[in-house]
Amino acid sequence: MDQPHSVYLHIPFCKHRCAYCDFNTFAGMEKYIPEYLQALTREIEIASLLCPERYPVHSIFFGGGTPSLLPALSLRSLLEKLYLVFEISDNAEISLEANPGTVSRASLGSLRKAGFNRLSLGVQSANPGELRLLERSHNYFDVIRSVNWARQSGFDNLSLDLIYGLPGQTLENWQVSVQRSLALAPEHLSLYALTIESGTLLGCWAAKGYIPIPDPDCAAEMYEWAAGFLEQRGYEHYEISNWAVPGFQCRHNLQYWRNLPYFGFGAGAHGCVGGVRTANESALTRYIRLMKQGAAGDYPAAPAVVERRLIDTKTEMQETMLTGLRLTEEGVSMERFRRRFGIEMREVFGEQIEKLTAVGLLEWVKDRTPDHSEVLRLTRRGHLLGNQVFIHFVE
Amino acid sequence: MTANIRNFCIIAHVDHGKSTLADRLLQLTGTISDREMTEQVLDAMDLEREKGVTIKASAVRMLYTAQDAVEYELNLIDTPGHVDFGYEVSRALYACEGAILVVDATQGIEAQTLANLYSALEADLEIIPVINKIDLPSAAPDEVAEDIVSLLGGSLDEIIHVSAKEGKNIQAVLEAIVREVPAPKVDAEAPMRALVFDSHYDSYKGVIAYVRMIEGILRPAQTVRMMATRVDVKPVEIGIFTPGQKPVQSLAAGEVGYIATGLKTVQDCRVGDTITLASAPAAEPLPGYRTPKPMVFAGIYPAEADDYGDLRDALEKLQLNDASLSYEPETSQALGFGFRAGFLGLFHMEIIQERLEREYDLDMVFTAPTVEYEVVKLDGARILIDSPAELPDENEIEEIREPWMHLEIISPTDFYGPVMEIVTKRRGHFVSQEYPAPHRVQLNFEIPLSELIVDFFDDLKSRTRGYASMDYRLVEYRPDELQKLEILVNGEPVDALAAIVHKQDAYHKGQRLITRLKATIPRQLFDVAIQASSGGRVISRANVKALRKDVLAKCYGGDITRKKKLLEKQKKGKKRMKKIGNVEIPQEAFMAVLRLENE
Repeated sequence: MDQPHSVYLHIPFCKHRCAYCDFNTFAGMEKYIPEYLQALTREIEIASLLCPERYPVHSIFFGGGTPSLLPALSLRSLLEKLYLVFEISDNAEISLEANPGTVSRASLGSLRKAGFNRLSLGVQSANPGELRLLERSHNYFDVIRSVNWARQSGFDNLSLDLIYGLPGQTLENWQVSVQRSLALAPEHLSLYALTIESGTLLGCWAAKGYIPIPDPDCAAEMYEWAAGFLEQRGYEHYEISNWAVPGFQCRHNLQYWRNLPYFGFGAGAHGCVGGVRTANESALTRYIRLMKQGAAGDYPAAPAVVERRLIDTKTEMQETMLTGLRLTEEGVSMERFRRRFGIEMREVFGEQIEKLTAVGLLEWVKDRTPDHSEVLRLTRRGHLLGNQVFIHFVE
Repeated sequence: MTANIRNFCIIAHVDHGKSTLADRLLQLTGTISDREMTEQVLDAMDLEREKGVTIKASAVRMLYTAQDAVEYELNLIDTPGHVDFGYEVSRALYACEGAILVVDATQGIEAQTLANLYSALEADLEIIPVINKIDLPSAAPDEVAEDIVSLLGGSLDEIIHVSAKEGKNIQAVLEAIVREVPAPKVDAEAPMRALVFDSHYDSYKGVIAYVRMIEGILRPAQTVRMMATRVDVKPVEIGIFTPGQKPVQSLAAGEVGYIATGLKTVQDCRVGDTITLASAPAAEPLPGYRTPKPMVFAGIYPAEADDYGDLRDALEKLQLNDASLSYEPETSQALGFGFRAGFLGLFHMEIIQERLEREYDLDMVFTAPTVEYEVVKLDGARILIDSPAELPDENEIEEIREPWMHLEIISPTDFYGPVMEIVTKRRGHFVSQEYPAPHRVQLNFEIPLSELIVDFFDDLKSRTRGYASMDYRLVEYRPDELQKLEILVNGEPVDALAAIVHKQDAYHKGQRLITRLKATIPRQLFDVAIQASSGGRVISRANVKALRKDVLAKCYGGDITRKKKLLEKQKKGKKRMKKIGNVEIPQEAFMAVLRLENE
C-alpha cells in the first residue's frame, strides 16, 4: 500500500486524426468535452469511494488524444480532483501531452501554475513534407514557439516525440529532424518507429499502393544512427524507444515498464491496481453514458470497466519480464525479481534465458547499485529485435 | 413386378443442374415432402454442396403413378460428377438401364457431358436427353437441341426442355423414364448376384453397400459373400432408400437397395464388387471390377508433431468411407512423421485436404503433389516411386518413366489458340480434333499427368473464361528426360521441397522456386542461404538476410494486454512453422513448388 502508484488520464479529443493514429481518439467530437469532463471527474470520485485509503501517487500523466485541447482551467480542476483523492507526493511528476499548435504562451503559463511540471510535445518530424504525410496540423515553427513558451513558463522537463521509418523518408531527413529537435535541448526524447496499422489512413494508402511500405532495414539504420548520436550528446538510452538526460527519465512510463501499479481513468484507459488489469469502455459516448448511469461495485469494477483480468503470479512474472526487458539499461534485476516473487528468475525462465543469451539477444550484466546485483537485459543487437525475445515470455 | 421397375441415373457436366433435377423428381413423386426438402438432398456433405458437385453416389426409390395409371418403382442412382471418379461413374451406370442426359441450355455440350454420355452408351443405356435451365435469359435451347440431335440422332421434339430450378416440365421427364427406359431383364432363377455401386460407413450398421440386384433374390438372414475381397458376412439388415434407409424382407433381381454388412471398413466391400450368397455362390462375378488406382500422391504432415495421432485417426476415419484414399506412414527429414497419401486425382486430393481441415480441424502441411514414376535402374530393376525423395541416385538410373494421359478438352472455337498454348507449354502434344457441335471444338491431346496436376485446370478455366472443360484418362508410362530438383537450405537438402522435373524445365523451375522461397521464408536471426540444384549443379541461389528490426515501438497508455496479444499471435505463427536445422520455414513454402506455373 505504501508503494507509490501512478495515474493515467485519457483525453481522447483531437482536432484532426493523424494519418498513422490508431489510438483511442476522436476528432470533431468537441461538443462532448463538458460531459466527458463530468464523467472523468465522477470516475475519479468513485475510485476514491472504493479505495480503502488514500493511495500514494508519484506520477500523473494526461495522455491522449490531445489533452492540450482542453481549457487550462478544466485540466486544473481535474488535477485538483486528483489531489483530493490521492496522496500525491511533493515531487510528483505531472505530465501533459500536447501538440504544438494547440498551446499558447498563456495556456502553458496557466498549466505550469496549475501544477503540471512535465510537457511531452508531439513533434514527430521537422520536415514539412513528412508532417503533411502524417496529417499533423502543425509545422516546425509551432514546435519552436511551443518550446520557447514552455521554457518561459517554467517547464524544465520537456520531452519531444519523433517518428521514424516513414514512407519515403531518407536517413538524411531523419538526421535533420533529430538534430533540429536536439537543438531545442529537450530533457527527454521518444523515437518511435512507424507502424502502419490497418484502419488508419496510412494503412489504407499502403493497401492501395499510394505510398511505399517503409523498409524495416532503413528504419533500423535510422534507429542505430540516432542511438549513437544521442549517446554522444549525453542522453541516456534507458528504454527501447526512449532517451533522457540523466535524471529525467519519465517516471510515469518507468512505472509501466517496471510492472508497478497505476490507475487509468477515461475512455479506453487501462489500469493495473491490486493485481487486476482493467480496461474502460473505449467509445466516447458509451463511456459517458456508463459513467452517468452506472453504479460502482468493488474497485476496480468502476461503471465504465469493460475488461477485468486477474493477474496470477505466473502472469505477473511473465509481464515483469516482458515490460522490464524494454528497459535497455536497467533490465530486470535478479535481486528485485527474487524480492518480488520469492523465487529465482532462472528457476522460472531458465530455459528461455539460456536460449536467448546463446543467440546473443539477452545478456547478464552487473548493475550500478553498490551490491552489483546481476541484471538481465537486451543486448545492443537485441534492442531492435525485442519481439524475438518477448515472444518467449507469453503463452 | 420387375416389369414396373425403372433403374436410371442422371448424367451431366458439373453445374448443369443434375442435383436440382433430382430434387424435383423426389418432390414430384412425393418421395420427399416440400417441407423436408432441403436443397439437393442427395448431396449429403456440405463440401459437395459448396463445390457444386456430387462426390458420393446415392440411390433413391420413388413410386410414381404414370399417366397409364400404373404405379412404377423408379430407382434413381446418382453418379459422381467429376473426372477423378470415372470408375465409380461406370459402376453406377452399369446398375441402370437408362440415363437422363442433362445439358445446360446456356452452356451446351461440355467435356464431361460427352465423357459420361460415351460411358452410358458403352453400358448400353437408353438415353433421355433433357435441356435444363431454359428459364435463364441466356438460354439457347434450340441450338443446344440441335447439337444433341447431331450427336445422338433422334428428332428435335423428343428432347425435353425443363427448368429444374422452377420445376417446369418435370412430369415429362418422369413419363419419359417410364416410357423409354426398359424394365430390368432378370433371371430370377440364377444364383444371386448383386453389383456394389457405392458404399458408405455407418457407425451402427457398419459398411452399407449400395447394390443393384442383377440376378436371384436376397433375404435378410442369408449370409452373403463379397466375391473380390472374399469376405463372408451375415448382413445386419437389407433395405431400400426412400431416401432414408428402410428395411425390407427381400431384395429381388432388378431392384436397387442396400445391404448393411456390419463390416468395419469399406476396403472389404469395394465399389464394383459382386455380392453373392455364401450358401449358393455364383460361378462368376459380374464383369468390370477393378481396385481403384491412386494417380496423385502427396505427403501430409501435421503442422505440429503432437498432432500426428489426430491426423492418423482422421485419415483412418476418412478411409472408412473412401476406399480410394490410400496412405502409409512416411518420415521426412524436414517435416518429421507424417503420411504419404494416394488420391484418384487432384480434385480428390483437394476434397481430402478440405475435409481434414474442416471436419477434423487439423493444421497440416500438404507437400506438392506428384505422380507415380517408374524408374528403371542400370541393373534392370524396376521400381515405382511416388515421392521425389525416393528417387535413387542419378548414377544408378537407366531411365525414368512417367504416366501419360489422353486429354480431351472441349471449348468454344474462339479459345482454340489459348488451349493449344496451355497444353504445349506443358509438354503436351496435339493428337486430333473434332467438332461435336457448331462453334465447339474437341481437342485431343497427350500430356504427362505431372503437368496436369499442377494448376492445369485453373489455368484452363481462366484462359478460356470458364468455357473449356476437360476429361482425361491414362494412356501409358513413357520415358523422358526427368531429373530431381533439389532445394538446399543453409546447405541441407530439404526432402519435402524436392521435385522431379523435366530436364528442359529444371533451370527455369529452380530459379522460380528460389524466388518464391525467398519471398516466403521469413527473415531469421541469421542469414539463410537457399539453393536449387539439379543434375549435380547449383542452378540458382538466394540469401534471406538476417532480421534487423522486429520490435513494438510503443506500449500505449499502459495497454499491456494488447501488446501481449500481438506477441502471442507472433508466437503462434512461429510455432506453426517447420524447423529445418535452425531455419524456420512456413507451410506455404512447401506449397511453393506447386505454384510455379502461374508466373
